[in-house]
Amino acid sequence: MKIDKELAVGFFLLIGILALAYLSVKLGRLELMGGRSYSLYAEFEKAGGIKSGAVVEIAGVQIGKVKNISLDNYQALVDMSIDNYVKIQEDAIASIKTKGLIGEKYIQITPGGSDRILPAGGKMRETESAVDIEELISKYAFGKV
Amino acid sequence: MVRKAGIFCLLITCLLFFSSGSYAGEPTNLMKQTIDKVLDILKNKELKKPQKTNARRAAIRNVVGERFDFEEMAKRSLALHWKKRTAEERQEFVPLFSDLIERAYIKKIESYTDEKVVYSGEKTENMYAVVDTKILTKRNVEIPIQYRLLKESNRWKVYDVIVEGVSLINNYRNQFNKIIREKSYEELVKRLKKKQEEDLLEKK
Repeated sequence: MKIDKELAVGFFLLIGILALAYLSVKLGRLELMGGRSYSLYAEFEKAGGIKSGAVVEIAGVQIGKVKNISLDNYQALVDMSIDNYVKIQEDAIASIKTKGLIGEKYIQITPGGSDRILPAGGKMRETESAVDIEELISKYAFGKV
Repeated sequence: MVRKAGIFCLLITCLLFFSSGSYAGEPTNLMKQTIDKVLDILKNKELKKPQKTNARRAAIRNVVGERFDFEEMAKRSLALHWKKRTAEERQEFVPLFSDLIERAYIKKIESYTDEKVVYSGEKTENMYAVVDTKILTKRNVEIPIQYRLLKESNRWKVYDVIVEGVSLINNYRNQFNKIIREKSYEELVKRLKKKQEEDLLEKK
């Protein structure tokens, strides 16, 4: 009888630890296996405002997020993880957009019409960098020296 | 000794080849040829006369048509909807689309007055190339224009132009997509045709 009680406590503790582990993975949005998404790269001239964890959307629907941003040959190389069920065509365009006027930055993909689908680890060639409104204003208001 | 000298020479030629290949390669030269040809037409005093406008536009259209792949551009602009079109519909759409682009840009091209074009870089990757240019206006404002080229059957052709970071294809793709989703493809063709007619009337 005594052993059974201890066993039960141990058992509940184990369940508790498992639940905690599950919770931290879920809340932290960690990907342990990476089984539900694949990786795509996109090269931007300027990745201004995009942070890892930023949302990747098609038609306003989240289909993935930014995993990592690095500098490659003085250009921004953005590593995105895209949900497996979404296929991205080779001529799809990735653009950096802003939610509202001063909202957060996200990556919007406009699907293309090509028959060629980008494989996992492929690179999106067509990209539009963030439009720097301040830079534009200063350029056209004051001219460039 | 001779062999060593031979290897050295080979290395030097390799270096020269690669260093020249990485900058101002074939795509840049081709873009330069096309842009120079257009500039020559614009500078031509004979063609500047108002009664010669049509001849001038035809000349520009000719030069641009050699370097720009309007079918690829139309295809990329329609994107998902291109696949659903029949061969006849595609044939009808491409000239409508190239006309739309021509009308949108011809006035800007014609307002040219001695701006300078600078070729600032190039990147080639397999069958794709990017040529970076800048237009220097008189007020010394730099307008970055990027040409994206695709090599098909051994000819480099432009399939997208990115002005100040905004892609021409993406602009039309979003607009076309919106019209087709809200109305229909037929409505899009109707609108394009209507615009074409309006501009024709305006010219007369």
